[in-house]
Amino acid sequence: MHPLLLTFMIFGIPALIGLLYVFVRGTPSLRRYIVTRVALTIPMVLILASLVFLVLRIIPGDPVTSSLGPKGSPEVKEQMRANLGLNDPIIVQYLSFLGDVVTLDFGDAMTSGQRPVVDELGEKFPATIELIVPAALVALTIGVLFGTFAAVRRKRASDYGFRLFSVVIYSMPVFWLGLLLILVFGVWLGWAPTGGRIDAVINTTLERTTNMLTVDSLISLNWAAFWSALHHLVLPTLTLGLILSGVFLRLTRINVVETNEEDYIAAARARGIKERTVTYKHALKNAMIPVVTLIGLQVAILLGGAVLTETVFNWPGMGRYLVERIGLRDFTAVQSTIVMFAVFVALISLAVDILYSLLDPRVRY
Amino acid sequence: MAVDLDTKDQPPPEEQALQAWERDLEHIGIMGRLMAGRKWHGADWWFVAIAIVMVAGFIFVALFPGLIAPFNPREQVGPRLLAPGETPDQDVLILRVGEPAASLVDFAGDERIPTGVVRGAPASEAVRDQADRITEELNGGGDERRVRLRVARFETLDEVLDALVVGDVALAAASSLEFEAVADRYPDLFVAGPVDSDQGGGQSFLMGTNQLGQDVFSRVIWGTRIALIIGFSASLFSLALGVPLGLLAGFAGGKLDRVLTMIMDSLYAFPGLILAIAIAAVLGPSIFNIIMAIAVLYIPTYYRIVRGQTLSTKEGLFVEAARSLGAKVRVILTRYIFPNVVPSVAIIFSVNIADAILTGAGLSFLGLGLPPTTPDWGIDISRGAPLMNQAWWIITFPGIAVMLLVLAFTLLGEGLMEIFNPKLRDR
Repeated sequence: MHPLLLTFMIFGIPALIGLLYVFVRGTPSLRRYIVTRVALTIPMVLILASLVFLVLRIIPGDPVTSSLGPKGSPEVKEQMRANLGLNDPIIVQYLSFLGDVVTLDFGDAMTSGQRPVVDELGEKFPATIELIVPAALVALTIGVLFGTFAAVRRKRASDYGFRLFSVVIYSMPVFWLGLLLILVFGVWLGWAPTGGRIDAVINTTLERTTNMLTVDSLISLNWAAFWSALHHLVLPTLTLGLILSGVFLRLTRINVVETNEEDYIAAARARGIKERTVTYKHALKNAMIPVVTLIGLQVAILLGGAVLTETVFNWPGMGRYLVERIGLRDFTAVQSTIVMFAVFVALISLAVDILYSLLDPRVRY
Repeated sequence: MAVDLDTKDQPPPEEQALQAWERDLEHIGIMGRLMAGRKWHGADWWFVAIAIVMVAGFIFVALFPGLIAPFNPREQVGPRLLAPGETPDQDVLILRVGEPAASLVDFAGDERIPTGVVRGAPASEAVRDQADRITEELNGGGDERRVRLRVARFETLDEVLDALVVGDVALAAASSLEFEAVADRYPDLFVAGPVDSDQGGGQSFLMGTNQLGQDVFSRVIWGTRIALIIGFSASLFSLALGVPLGLLAGFAGGKLDRVLTMIMDSLYAFPGLILAIAIAAVLGPSIFNIIMAIAVLYIPTYYRIVRGQTLSTKEGLFVEAARSLGAKVRVILTRYIFPNVVPSVAIIFSVNIADAILTGAGLSFLGLGLPPTTPDWGIDISRGAPLMNQAWWIITFPGIAVMLLVLAFTLLGEGLMEIFNPKLRDR
């Protein structure tokens, strides 16, 4: 089965089951909300796809010139343009592009091998997923743990310390943090590899199914490959996760502080419930609702940061692919990558919105 | 008497009923809010004060980089890859005791002078540079003589010095430190003087030099200007587009509002950096194109905030009153609604500059920004990255600069937000 499909299935099937469950068990108004929300993701993806299509056609330069350079004769170039369909009227190109988007068959890349884009994305997209999912977990763990801690110790030195940490870490360029971590832990201490996804030697023993190397090695029970892949994941994940953790820390802290002032918390305290129970059971649970929403918004930042992290760590993911193909003016590859990003972002924000409606029954539509 | 004093210290009864922070914030003005903010927020007041000082400092540096930077950021001013504070070896001219000549000038003539150097040592290049310079000076002064060297390369310094002692070469050039280490064994040789190369000699650099021998400190200082130009202009462009669109959509409502909001929401949800990469790559490297690419990203930020505020403000009684008095739409928008969105726009602007600077650095790092000779932090970091193992300072200092500048604007925005937005107090 195609790795791209597999990757989407790993995340999509549980989400779909959840969606069905909510749909069946929910109130009519919730049901209506879900339908509109799902319907809204379609124009969002289309708007972005059209925007990219337009921008790429307006700019000077095309894939033929960039791949042949000044050397190619005009006849050869003309022939290539005709083959790639670049001489068709723009509206025809646009419609065929929309057709590609709808059928999810993006055609062949225009430069550099001209492999089907779907196959290339099947290699790159799982690599990016393998990077950003653990990074989001790192950010969430650090943010929620220390955010709650800071809120409980409000206005003490440690609180100001954590707040400063969140602002400072937010101000760091992600690529710079990555380079510093490579320098300290990769070069000076030699604890972690400085780039790539897996040791080249071990890589040859690994059977690829999803192209997410940790998952593949677990499926084939190849422990050497698993450890190698995990080892290569540590620094990139930490880089991306740390950068994002600041935002989560701040939001968690604000919400726990706010919830702590609610009457029901005072009531719980008055009943003599232990402070720890009040904080973690009563306050944190309710404070987490806006944090969940934030995950949806942070996916965009996560993907942007992933581009830079991939560049720093030589990680063959979507971001590096995009930068490389934009340079080549490879219209199909760039459009497909952007559409892929847009679909991913739209799906995540859809999932988060629905999760939000589940977590907070007070929300009415 | 004592009772009188007590009542004098008490605020009037109506104010006493209100907590200090419950006074009507709408009527105390901006300075009043700032002063009141100082009392509620403790550390936030200091955050704003520190941030203002930092921002002012950075703006000063960006306006007058020439005053602070000791060197031209684009010129080679020292040896390559010199560590911060490290003094480079001075290259020296070594002669035999009893030699009539005392410096390179005295060797001027028609013959080629046999010169001993260690293969690959910087002294080799330096001594030839100096010979050429002396020749130029002599010829410029009408003197026909030339200083010409015949360079003999040896594997070790000892071989060079042995050759000098027996007279195979007439002079030698080597690093002073290396010569001093073995000087005891060669009593017949002495140091005649320094050899000055084109790269200057003996000078140390605060933040070291990069792989082109440029001063890292000067480049960091000049980079401030580029970063601030990008941050300010990109944010201004987004503000100029986002605020009117937000006002219009929020006020007009209807179809226009729905279409605009949908477009803005799609833009907002999409990974900004990736969009900027696409736009910047497409437009080509120039500072204006970078600014445009970043500006597009942040239009939705202003749009969303302004639209939301307009929606709530236009329900206000004073807008209703203006409308019933027959005020034009333009007047209502500019005179009644716009002043109410200004504080939020100011806060967003500050945070936005910080974001724009980070995005700009990211674009430069990917090589999509400015021409590679520009003294820009992102470019310096990306070019220093491959040399990280030997020279940590090339990437470290520009990174710290980005961090401090972004930090200043973020702190300013955050602090202002907490002071201007009383709902968020005490967090």
